[in-house]
Parts: sequence; structure tokens; C-alpha cells
Amino acid sequence: MSTILQNLSNDLAGIVKSVEPSLVRVDARRRLPATGIVWSADGVIVTAHHVVEREDNLKIGLADGQTVSATLVGRDPTTDLAVLRSEAKGLTPPAWATFDAQGPQVGHLVLALGRPGKSAQATLGIISALGDQWRTPGGSQLDHYVQTDVVMYPGFSGGPLIDAAGQIIGLNTSALLRGISLTVPNPNIRQVVETLLAHGQIKRGYLGISTQPVRLPETLRQQLSQETGLLLAGVEPDSPAEKGGLLLGDTIVAVENEPIRQHDDLLAALSGDRVGQAVSIRVVRGGQLQDLTVTVGERS
Amino acid sequence: MSNLLQQLNGEMAAVVEMTRRSLVKVGNGRNGAGAGVVWQPGGIILTNAHVVRQGSISVTLPNEQKYPAKIIAYDEARDLAALSIEAPGLQPLTVGDSAALQPGELVLALGHPWGVAGAVSAGPVIDVGPAPEMSRPDRIFIQAGLQLRPGHSGGPLVDAQGRLVGINTMITGPEVGLAIPVTVVKEFLIKVI
Repeated sequence: MSTILQNLSNDLAGIVKSVEPSLVRVDARRRLPATGIVWSADGVIVTAHHVVEREDNLKIGLADGQTVSATLVGRDPTTDLAVLRSEAKGLTPPAWATFDAQGPQVGHLVLALGRPGKSAQATLGIISALGDQWRTPGGSQLDHYVQTDVVMYPGFSGGPLIDAAGQIIGLNTSALLRGISLTVPNPNIRQVVETLLAHGQIKRGYLGISTQPVRLPETLRQQLSQETGLLLAGVEPDSPAEKGGLLLGDTIVAVENEPIRQHDDLLAALSGDRVGQAVSIRVVRGGQLQDLTVTVGERS
Repeated sequence: MSNLLQQLNGEMAAVVEMTRRSLVKVGNGRNGAGAGVVWQPGGIILTNAHVVRQGSISVTLPNEQKYPAKIIAYDEARDLAALSIEAPGLQPLTVGDSAALQPGELVLALGHPWGVAGAVSAGPVIDVGPAPEMSRPDRIFIQAGLQLRPGHSGGPLVDAQGRLVGINTMITGPEVGLAIPVTVVKEFLIKVI
């Protein structure tokens, strides 16, 4: 008798059943609706930014079949997350997994759920790759890189990736890296949701410059062990950059001793926690390295 | 050493072996054809209507014996057909309950994709209901996360216990296999037989 196969199959279906109350339909685009996860009992929903194409007339389909209205709290394209507040009360938030020794491993079986229609849908896969911190194309630093071989069916974006204990590892998105099933890990979802709930937007640092990557001269390439820097093509009047003494024609090579080789490096260096802080910026001016101190502003 | 994964593999192989005893090839006298599954010991073979739409129909059993088949029921709308053959020792599959299938449950599809006899693919049940992107929202399918290919049509979809839950019928979207639930098969058989 096939007990393991049957038990496994039953366990998988049981996990779907247990998480299903926390799974909602997010109707916020013209095409097929997508999926969201209940964040808190008082109606907060987290979903994928790219499935929220309009900002009014948002509808949430609950597990009990009800449809309720929702408003957009805020969104963060750099992590592909959006937070909605629905009129529903008494919702069931799921259990979230932690990234510790017992956490996700490459080869683990995982379920991905979606609710593009009335019922919860499921698919199965394995964790293909796990990595440490990485930077999304939009410049956000995520604590973990989580890639699966899960097939992202239409409307599955914004839905949860679930481990064998029925806990949510993160939120699945097909849009952060095209053609790859990626999961935004739990710790970063928490940061983004809490920030959006508190401020309605993600703080981004602001210098007031426009830049262009340029190749550094040979001697500097060797001295700094980096090929490129960012040439200042514009400095806005009264900007944090101007106040800090940055000049047109300077080439930024480091911020707080982290090498700046391209735009993404600068974006990452200007994360929200740097707002209001004095940071050291190393530039090449007249062939010489020079350190300046700039107080990072906030992008409005 | 036998770990859990090896035991699981052993059990899956056993389900496949059991199911293959009821898996037949359905020929229509042309190149390629489809699959079928033994429904009753008396000799009813189920397959898709589109497999037997034309030609002279034959059924090849797992022992490679080939028999001429008679179409005893045919339903274009449900895409189901029942064939009869006069052959000894037909082994029907235990019939399961497709209405009780839950998303996440594991199912196996058997058939002859691209002519590969008795091939298996496995995956989770995505949902049971009307398939998205279908012109007929009233048609209920088992949607499974597995690959169906030409030659799978008419073959059995079985659950983790090897019980027949559906008839493999078509593919939709990137990797969604659609199977006609046995509840629909029963309606078809009651209505036409």
C-alpha cells in the first residue's frame, strides 16, 4: 500500500487547506486578477506591486467568497510589493517562516498558492537556489535570494511560497526578474509593509545629481581595483550634493567606502536608512581622490 | 539504505505499474493515436472522443495484443467515448472520487506521449473547476501541474492511491494538463449506456 505517497499527497492538500483562509484575490488590473496574502486581521493585504495597475476601485476576494473594497496604502516597485487596506475585519493572517538553520534549503519541496478566481489553486516545486543578500534591478537590497522551479500560473503573483510546515517563506513574483520564479523573502516583506503602513511610501535617499558611468584612468583603476565610476553630469541647485560641495565633472567612486561602479550601486547606497545621515563620498577631481561629506536628503 | 525519498519513489513506481495494467493504446488506423483506460472487467474502454473521431478503431492491450474495437458511446461535447473489445483478462482501475480532489494533492498521468508507450508525468492538482481561457466555462476539468502531450489523450489520471480520477484530455497555458473528472465520465456513461 502506498502510504508515503498518499500521506505526502494528503499533507500537501492539508497545507493548502490550512493556508487558504489567508489567501485573497486581488482585483486591481484589467486582465486576470492576481493573489494577495492577509497581513493582519484588520484588513491589511500584501500583494505584488505589478498586479496593482489601478489605484481606485480595488477589490479583494476573501476566502469565504465575499468581495470587499480596498484602498492602496502604498507600493514599492523596487521589491515588487504593494500594500492594500480592505474593509474586511477578522481576517486570518498566516504563519511566517523564519530564515534560520531550520529554514528553507535548496531541494526542499514547496507549494505556491494563488487565488485568481474564487477557489484557491496550488502548485508544487522545489527551491532551486538560495543566496544571501542581493540587490533587485530597482536597487532594493533583499536579505535572501529565493528561486524556485514553481510554474507561475497566470494570477499567481502576489501569492505565498509555503514550506513543508505550512509556513510562508515569502511572496512569489514573476516580475522582479523576468522568466524566473522568485520569492520576496519574509523579512523584507515585513520591512516594506511596516514602512508603507507608517509612511505610505518607501523612503529613498536623494542627492540631487545626474550621473553617467565612465571608465577610470589606468592608475586609478589599479589603485581602487575598480574599472568605472559615476561622472556627475548635473548637480541641482540647493541640493544635498551641492551643499556638500560636489561639482559638475567630479566622478564618484565610493560612498561610505563601498565602491560605486554604476547607477545601481548608488541607488543601493541611498537606501532609506541613509536619509538625514552625513555620508562620506569619494570623488575623483582633477585626477586626485578627494573625500567629501554630504547629508543625504529624502526623495519626495 | 532506504530513505523516505527512495520509499516514495518505490511507491510511485508501484502505482505506475498497477495503472499500466489498465492502460491501453487506442489506434485509429492512422499515424499516432491516443490512450485509453479499462473501465469494466467486461470490456469497456474509455478514451477521448477526439481520439476515435475517424478511422477504424483498434485497442492494444499492455500485453501488445491488438483487438478491433466497437464504439458503443460517443459524446463530442464531453469529449468522451466508450469502446468495447472482446478480450480476456481486462483489468479495470479502481474508480476514485474526483469531486473530493483537493488543490495540492498529487496525481499521475499515464499515456503514450509522442508515441512513448506508458509514459508517466506527475504533479499537483492546481484546481478542479472550469479552466481559465476556455471557451466553455460550463466544462469542469481537473487542472494539474503536469505536462500532457499528443498521445496522452484518453489515458488515465490517477490519485496517490492509484485510483482513476480523470481522463487526460488536453493542455492549456504553459504547463497545465486538463483531465475530464470521473464524475463527468459517470454522467456520460449513465446517459448513453
